[in-house]
Amino acid sequence: MYYDIYLVGVGGQGILTIGEIVAEAALKRDLPANFYPTKGMAQRGGFVKAQLRLGRDNVGPSIAEKGADLVIAMELSESLKALRYLKPDGDFVLYSSVWSPTAVMLGKAPYPTVEEVLAEIEKTGGKIIHVKPEGRPEFEGQPVPENVYVLGAACRYSSLGRFINPDEIRVTLENRWKKGVERNLYTFDAGMSSTL
Amino acid sequence: MSIKFISGNEAIAYGSLQAGVKVVSGYPGTPSSEVITSLFKNKPEDLYVEWSSNEKVAFEVAAAASWAGQRALCTMKMSGLNVAYDSLASVAYSGCSGALVVYVADDPGVSAGMCEQDSRGFALISDLPMLEPASVEEAYSLTRFAFELSESTGTPVFIRMVTATALSYAGMDIKDPPVFPECEPKLIKDIAKYTKAGSAICLDQHRDVIERLAKAGEIIREKNINSLSLSPEAGGLGIIVAGAVFPYLEEGLRLVDEYGLKTGPVSTLKVTATVPFPAEEVRSLIKHCSALLILEELEPHLEKDLYIEAHKLGFSGKIIGKLDGTLSRIGDYSAEQVVKGIAAALTLKLPADLFGSEYKGEKLTASRPITTCAGCPHRGTFLAINKAIKELKMKKDEVMVTGDIGCTILGMNPPFNTVWTEISMGASIGFAQGYYHSGVKTPIIATIGDSTFFHAGLPSLINAVQHQVPLTLIIMDNGWTSMTGMQVSPGTDEKFQQPGNQRLDLAKIVPALGINHFKMINPYELEESTAAIREAMTLSGVKVILSRQECAIQAMRQGKRYGKSTVIEGNCNKCKLCITVTGCPAISLGEESIVIDPAICYGCGLCSQVCNREAIERGPVKDVL
Ligand code: SF4
Ligand code: SF4
Repeated sequence: MYYDIYLVGVGGQGILTIGEIVAEAALKRDLPANFYPTKGMAQRGGFVKAQLRLGRDNVGPSIAEKGADLVIAMELSESLKALRYLKPDGDFVLYSSVWSPTAVMLGKAPYPTVEEVLAEIEKTGGKIIHVKPEGRPEFEGQPVPENVYVLGAACRYSSLGRFINPDEIRVTLENRWKKGVERNLYTFDAGMSSTL
Repeated sequence: MSIKFISGNEAIAYGSLQAGVKVVSGYPGTPSSEVITSLFKNKPEDLYVEWSSNEKVAFEVAAAASWAGQRALCTMKMSGLNVAYDSLASVAYSGCSGALVVYVADDPGVSAGMCEQDSRGFALISDLPMLEPASVEEAYSLTRFAFELSESTGTPVFIRMVTATALSYAGMDIKDPPVFPECEPKLIKDIAKYTKAGSAICLDQHRDVIERLAKAGEIIREKNINSLSLSPEAGGLGIIVAGAVFPYLEEGLRLVDEYGLKTGPVSTLKVTATVPFPAEEVRSLIKHCSALLILEELEPHLEKDLYIEAHKLGFSGKIIGKLDGTLSRIGDYSAEQVVKGIAAALTLKLPADLFGSEYKGEKLTASRPITTCAGCPHRGTFLAINKAIKELKMKKDEVMVTGDIGCTILGMNPPFNTVWTEISMGASIGFAQGYYHSGVKTPIIATIGDSTFFHAGLPSLINAVQHQVPLTLIIMDNGWTSMTGMQVSPGTDEKFQQPGNQRLDLAKIVPALGINHFKMINPYELEESTAAIREAMTLSGVKVILSRQECAIQAMRQGKRYGKSTVIEGNCNKCKLCITVTGCPAISLGEESIVIDPAICYGCGLCSQVCNREAIERGPVKDVL
């Protein structure tokens, strides 16, 4: 069984970490994984993408157009760059947070609305899983990390949960960060029980 | 033995350790840098590793180690190969004595910037074998083979990867390297081999390099490095697939099948050693098949040789690739090109909306020009250049500001729009001189980073001094090679240098070159910096300004903060001047005032100096680098 994931966002959202966690969980049960992050200018708040291909040995790193079973997009405007990679029957997880470029902040450049983006995703024929940033809870007074929250929601509502057992993700989270295990598990479960 | 999740670059590093490499050198460049970064982390005691001052030096270090009988590796990105090539071509003709492996990373699809060049051309010009791993796993095994091939034939060997393979991660079973017996260096005096003294020697060397490549070709054939698989029945489609494209072949064939299209018999030739051309295998494929498809990224190097062989054999079937217009020389490949190629070769009809549909939605994406990090010292320099031009009552499009490679090039983007050109390492200074000689009368400014200046800027500055070209050179010294992931440069602080290494101080080196005017500035002090640049622009001769502050990202990683800037809400009328002028990512618009994100603000104080309502208070500052 193959499963291809296309991730997009901006530097600083931890989008690459989502890919690493899923890849790690896959490897742990001997499922081949090829993870290809493209950081670009991640450090400088630029566009970031990653491609994760599970289930095949020696698979090519790049997903062809209309080839992704799952898209996870963490920034509203950048999510549009993933449209062409979604399979017609794939799942599109949109976390609609907004990171305004300076020109947008100054009111000098346009920025798409949530409705516009949802309409564009709809045209691809894929299933929309819209995770709203407003629903992100707090843990000990601090908003929980977005990436782990989105990963939880993706496990619950997309085909990812059928491919990787959420418990395997939980174990990976525990091993990855010895500090803040509780917080990460809380975040992941909050994502799992989020309402769309 | 252990399963590790490693990148293609790390696989090269592990493979080299398996081969008993003794000397490794290189210059940072995405996507090749992790080979050396990972060796620094994981270095056996008797291995020598260095970041050299540029790729030519790096190559010379590695080549000499191989001439002394050791196993050596040199790493670079494709632009670096252009720099190293002068020495590389010469060493190719001489050959080597130990083993010399040159790893170069190309970037089809351009995710790291610079020319989308195909470095296979370099292997062809200098008759050096080139191996192209198709996956992370192959990067590991082929690296060991590359060392053996180099040692047994006496020829330097290229390993070429593309970004997608170099920066991909896969799970790999990594063995502990075997223990190698101590190898004493040999000093070999052989004028006929190691010099170019006279035409007789040079002609012999040309003959030798051709022979060495032929011998390497034989070993490659014996070891089945390229694999030919012919269909049981003759006829049908023959596919030649090169290096990194190979993993997409199976996927493409499966997709064609899923669309309900029939391919008939398919034979394949996987080309892993792209130089020398595997003529024998190609001939077998041509004789066996009735149509041919060639899949290689970037330039049609193999394809041209395929045409020659096809012509010699009187092949009359279709040859599909780039030269017939089916596939492009531009961009990287995925399964898409495989499917298109197969369809064209077999005249199959693909579903109309399969690839290349128009996604109007993509056009709604907000443009996100990249800018310097919060607190970046370069921000201060760009602001000061802009301000100096304005104060001299000149327009920005009257003053040429040449740019260079690295973070300093971010000056070409908004809100600065300061820098006009980006060519190659060090070129800002040479270009500034050419603009002057063309008759430009307005001041000319060249901008360059410290690591780039050490790499290739120094000879250009010497040229400017000798020919007394009136220009203002601004060296933006942040103490690191930042853009490529924070490598140590010759100017990096002593405490980050390798044990026993020495730091070179630009503040001592540059004035010693006999320039007419030298000044050091702190880019976080806007007035002072502007005044210094303005002054330099009005003086004659070669002026150098050293703008010095540590890269903010690196400084923050060490827990440093330059100062602390706080918004005074009552004074801020949300005029947005701080945002429009500095473009600092730490500043955003809040309800009552602008807001500074304390998590990423470095406290450089530039925003506070730009604000004309005293709405940002600048706390006490610390010392310069
Ligand atoms: S002091 Fe101002 S300009 Fe400097 S990093 Fe902080 S917010 Fe940005
Ligand atoms: S990495 Fe350092 S030098 Fe580069 S833009 Fe960021 S702060 Fe500036």
